[in-house]
Amino acid sequence: MPEPLVSVEDVTKDYHTGTVTAHALRGVTLDVDEGDFMAIVGPSGSGKTTLLNLVGALDTATTGNVSVFGTDLGGLTRGERAELRLHSLGFVFQAYNLIPVLTARENVEFVLELQGKHDERSGRALSVLTELGLGDFADRRPNEMSGGQQQRVAVARAVASRPRLVLADEPTANLDSENSEALLSMMRDLRDTQGMTFVFCTHDPLVVSYARRVVRLHDGRVESDERKETEQ
Amino acid sequence: MRFSLVVRLAGRNLARNLRRTVLSVVGVGVGCAIAVFLWSFSRGANEFRVRGVAESGIGHLAIVPETWIDTRDPDIRLANWREELSRARSHEGVVAATPTATTSALLAFGTRVVGVEMLGVDPVAEPKVSRIARAIGEGRYLDASDDGAVVVGREVVEQLDVELGDELYVTVVEVTGDIEYVMLEIVGIIDTGSKTLDASLCHVTLDELSRITGRDGPTKIAIMVDDIRSIDEITAELSADASFGNTVITWKTLVPAMGADADADDVFNNTLVGTIILVVMLGVTSARLTAVLERKREFAVLLALGMKPMQILRLIMLEAFVVGTAGSVVGLVLATPLVYLLATKGLSFTDSFGSDSSIAGVLFDPVIYGDMGAWMVPVAFIVGIVSTLAAAVYPTVSAVRTDPTSALTMREG
Repeated sequence: MPEPLVSVEDVTKDYHTGTVTAHALRGVTLDVDEGDFMAIVGPSGSGKTTLLNLVGALDTATTGNVSVFGTDLGGLTRGERAELRLHSLGFVFQAYNLIPVLTARENVEFVLELQGKHDERSGRALSVLTELGLGDFADRRPNEMSGGQQQRVAVARAVASRPRLVLADEPTANLDSENSEALLSMMRDLRDTQGMTFVFCTHDPLVVSYARRVVRLHDGRVESDERKETEQ
Repeated sequence: MRFSLVVRLAGRNLARNLRRTVLSVVGVGVGCAIAVFLWSFSRGANEFRVRGVAESGIGHLAIVPETWIDTRDPDIRLANWREELSRARSHEGVVAATPTATTSALLAFGTRVVGVEMLGVDPVAEPKVSRIARAIGEGRYLDASDDGAVVVGREVVEQLDVELGDELYVTVVEVTGDIEYVMLEIVGIIDTGSKTLDASLCHVTLDELSRITGRDGPTKIAIMVDDIRSIDEITAELSADASFGNTVITWKTLVPAMGADADADDVFNNTLVGTIILVVMLGVTSARLTAVLERKREFAVLLALGMKPMQILRLIMLEAFVVGTAGSVVGLVLATPLVYLLATKGLSFTDSFGSDSSIAGVLFDPVIYGDMGAWMVPVAFIVGIVSTLAAAVYPTVSAVRTDPTSALTMREG
């Protein structure tokens, strides 16, 4: 049996505010396999985003282990976690979070530049944008594009470096259903053609319908882990 | 990450809120301009003071008997003064050296009497050192062949009601303690413009003074140097070779009141410049902090994407560097015409001095000229860039410490 891409073992995460302790995760155990197209769902406060932060090496667990690509994140320094995010993970955020002073192409190039891929960055950025139907918008800044276009640029930025795992936080929250469907379809194509693994945090039933696997969280615990036979 | 992308990002970030950037640049520029102007004035005032002291016959430095420093006794004489004088005159960087000695004297003409400090001088060297000796209003200054000649100040002439060619009855105490009387002919009248100074001026040749008092040689050798920045260095060099019992001191020790004034002025000016720089820094810190706080989420995204804190630090520092550099240029542009005016027209203190431009026996030119030179460029850039970079430290630390999870829209779901 192949080793899972992500392994979460009995993880807890507590947040302290003054004398109050909030238990965001209470012993979550979960594997993410290569090629998964997984949605993490649950009501507000169930721990979805916390789990995504831990898997994305943005935060550290209070107890338990999180391993990504076989590396225990608990043993990594801040710099090593940054390296892991840069070279192996892609992020798509709810509010796009593009760098407003850079054009679409420069936003995509930025991550490649950070990775040191100076020579290929320009060509690859344009190629990815073109693949995502944004070739004509390459020289536009975020404020010159619609929400759907911005989110596609955000996806382009996340996948341009061909990461093995892409984490997306409510990627369709600000999109209409047409743009949402186009985005999900595009991401599924990327999984199929590039072999990328996608993990979403979402409230959106459309995302759930596209997902091959749905993990439900409730009060910081995994309530169910459902794998579909067929995708939409 | 290649530098070009950082430069591009920094440039666009600065252009993003152009009004704030321009205000920051102008703020730094005004601060730089004030600092450069004050520096110019401070340097000019320092030169003014040193020049005033030195050209009042005191010199930039002087060779004196060690015991004279504490006692200021005019009867003490230098050991081996001719060797000391020769060595001083041949020393590199020394423009002129002149021996002097003083004694208290009473000048009388008819029934009128004036008390003066009689100065014995080298008639050839003294005018090279002393502006007072050059301020001849009538007649001439002393020359080496003079015998029984005296030059006095305008006020002495007024008080004694004498004129050129009159003979003064001079009374001094000689080395044995006896009273000595001589007749000296007025060959010149000094007109410095300072009534106080002119009321006590009385110059004779050093040989004449030695004859009258019975004390041979000078009490001190006043020395002028070509560059006031070398005063301490030349003082140390001459001091190392001084004869036993002699030492070399600077004008600050020769005129302690002026030296203390100079030190106090330096402290005041440095404090003033420091305060201005601090105010500029606070303004820039505020502007940079606002700029950083506005972009907190952006920094969180950059960190989440894998940018390292050091790279963010470099980005913000580069933005600060650009603001500081532009501010320095603005500062130079603003300061140059002001400093030019100060350096050419000067700042006149005629009203403050009134009819008397002397303080503590030092004859001052009542106009202070600012110092203008290449030093302005490094000063402006150092003040502008260093203060802006220092002002950016706190905002940068704040940005670098951004928690990538807390600033993102990844709120708990």
